[in-house]
Amino acid sequence: MNIEITRAGLLPALSIVSGVVEKRQTLPILGNLLLSASDASLAIRGTDLELEIATRTPAEVHDSGSVTVPARKFLDICRTLPEGAMIRIRKEAERVLVSSGRSRFSLSTLPADDFPSMETGELDLSLDLDASVLKRLFEKTAFAMAQQDVRYYLNGVLLELQAASLVSVATDGHRLAKMSGALAAAVDTGESSRQAIVPAKSVIELKRLLPTDDALVRLEMGARTIRVSFGETAIVSKLVDGKYPEYDRVIPKDLPHVALLAKDVLKGALQRTAILSNEKYKGVRVSFNDGVLGLLSHNPEHEQAEDEVEMEYQGEPVVVGFNVGYIMDVINAVETSRIEVRLRDADGSSIWRGEGTEDEIFVIMPMRL
Amino acid sequence: MPRLIMHVDLDAFYAAVEQRDRPEWRGRPVVVGAAPGGRGVVATCSYEARRYGVHSAMPIAVAARRLPPETVYVRPDMARYARVSREIMTVLQTLSPVVEPVSIDEAYLDCTGLQRLIGPPEAIGRRAKAVIREAVGLTASVGLGPNRLIAKLASDSHKPDGLTVVPAGQVQAFLDPMPLAVLRGVGVKTAPRLERLGLHSVGDIRRLPLETLRRQLGARAGTAVHQQARGIADDRVYPARERQSISKETTFGTDVTDPEVLRETLRWAAQEVGYVARQEGRAGSVVTLKVRLHPFETHTRSGTLRAATADDRMLFRTAWALLQAEHWLGRRAVRLIGVGLSGWHSEPEQGDLFADSGVIPEGSDADRLHETLDAIRDKFGKGMIQRGMARPPS
Repeated sequence: MNIEITRAGLLPALSIVSGVVEKRQTLPILGNLLLSASDASLAIRGTDLELEIATRTPAEVHDSGSVTVPARKFLDICRTLPEGAMIRIRKEAERVLVSSGRSRFSLSTLPADDFPSMETGELDLSLDLDASVLKRLFEKTAFAMAQQDVRYYLNGVLLELQAASLVSVATDGHRLAKMSGALAAAVDTGESSRQAIVPAKSVIELKRLLPTDDALVRLEMGARTIRVSFGETAIVSKLVDGKYPEYDRVIPKDLPHVALLAKDVLKGALQRTAILSNEKYKGVRVSFNDGVLGLLSHNPEHEQAEDEVEMEYQGEPVVVGFNVGYIMDVINAVETSRIEVRLRDADGSSIWRGEGTEDEIFVIMPMRL
Repeated sequence: MPRLIMHVDLDAFYAAVEQRDRPEWRGRPVVVGAAPGGRGVVATCSYEARRYGVHSAMPIAVAARRLPPETVYVRPDMARYARVSREIMTVLQTLSPVVEPVSIDEAYLDCTGLQRLIGPPEAIGRRAKAVIREAVGLTASVGLGPNRLIAKLASDSHKPDGLTVVPAGQVQAFLDPMPLAVLRGVGVKTAPRLERLGLHSVGDIRRLPLETLRRQLGARAGTAVHQQARGIADDRVYPARERQSISKETTFGTDVTDPEVLRETLRWAAQEVGYVARQEGRAGSVVTLKVRLHPFETHTRSGTLRAATADDRMLFRTAWALLQAEHWLGRRAVRLIGVGLSGWHSEPEQGDLFADSGVIPEGSDADRLHETLDAIRDKFGKGMIQRGMARPPS
């Protein structure tokens, strides 16, 4: 292989792919990226065997062929070359030579034939949707994913394809986030809705890589894998093998009390009260009263913080303990300027959402303080 | 109307549980406690072993010298004993709603008014023994009397499998011939002092003027002993009293100066305390170190943690730091060392969406390491898994 490529063309492609490469690998070759040159373009691929990201960028190809290069070092080299640099990459014996201007690098390589490729199996379902819709599905829910929970099926985001919408759900058992995105065209999902649990790392990468514009994304699903492709980029991820809990049963219905609050005011007050809450539990006592939301926290040193936020409230006075972090996550996920809270009592879960939104639901379980 | 208090004391509890579960050990001396050859002590032994003069808290080495070769030595399986204990306490509640467990194998019951339901005190005692036997297949010694002291002394007076009733009118006749040491507050120091005065029985004490006792023992202890000798004592039963502290201590067979042994023993004690605390779902913020120096000089030191814990390592580190901070230790011989945990903290509890929904099996994100370790200990025994430590190569 022997190519020339601009730094400006190479760097964005590299940063798309290199997110998949772990700091420590189970196999040495997983620390490398596969570079394949042909037909005036360079294809770049990285994988951790669970997730594979591939993209393509134009290049001047003198000799086509494939090599692998150490991902981290190659990215750092390209990043630190001056802007506007032209980079030459060529394979020579057991080395990959990278040169630009007066800089020269000789990198080790591993055989390109050994680079693993993910088996997708049959992808029996395919749909096109706006990139921004899919991106929002992940953005609105990813924060509620469980982290390395033994209930492994919670360590990801559930995608559920219904007839005319795609729904995402994440929960760690303490709070739950659900978002639904409308599909341009109805999809035949067979008798019931179709589910896939996208693992946490893939969710993070998708959230990062999906474009915000209204470009179209193709989503393809099989029994064990999912593929998302847009532009020159394709992301293939294994799915979490497990059954997602029936999330609908833990979303409370018919909550009698409704509060409406200015989001930014609530955020400020929560940030202040959180300072004196127990560092470990982050508990804040939230009291819903006529016209005023009261916040109260204290820590093991018996220091105390109190704050109040004006609100519209219809209902009986209720005092509920909450983990501040869970409310903050919701505030950050909500886009409207006012936030709506529905609740029943101190022991049950409450529903939070942006005012007037129909497509998002955030459920938070209280904390007994 | 005098109250009717019952004291229930399981006979050689740990050993009896072992013999119940291992029929081939019945009729043989069974010693529950430290491994023979080690420095530990006997926790409990079966009545077969007691015939050789072995008793609780005796150094295991001494016990082993006295016992015949067919003796069975077992390490305590506290989790199993605790389960049996809970069953016993539960079944006792079918008798009287006022049950106060005072230890794993002892409880007080307020039986006042039960005569109308069950019959005379003897019948109540028989019923208690019967429900325990039916529930867990173990024997208990039971005493009934007008207060806690008399009930306890009554159950102590006939063992094993005893039933003793001391009616209010016979308290004095029951107490008078007893040795001084049965009274609370008369210990290894005071008993010889009283004996030098020619006092040998509770009756002798009773006939002594209060003032003399107060002079000899101090105002407070003197009054207490004086009252007890007359059979006056607390007759209240505190149902399911909240545990004040969890502690574990050990008496060395030979006094110890080696800091490494003290360190390892503290580590063991911290592990035991942590285990019980987690079993009971407790976390405490006060760690107490107890050290007894030769011969009977006892010191306790407490440290308060910033946050409540049930973590073995935290308990150990705190206790070890307390020990190292003390100058009185020097290289003096340590006879007993132990760790206690108190200052219970009720932790905030994050609700679980799935807890009662039946949507998924319950899961908690409590300390999974300890859960796993404790599960292994429950299943295979306490010694199976321990925290390791790096030792410098010797």
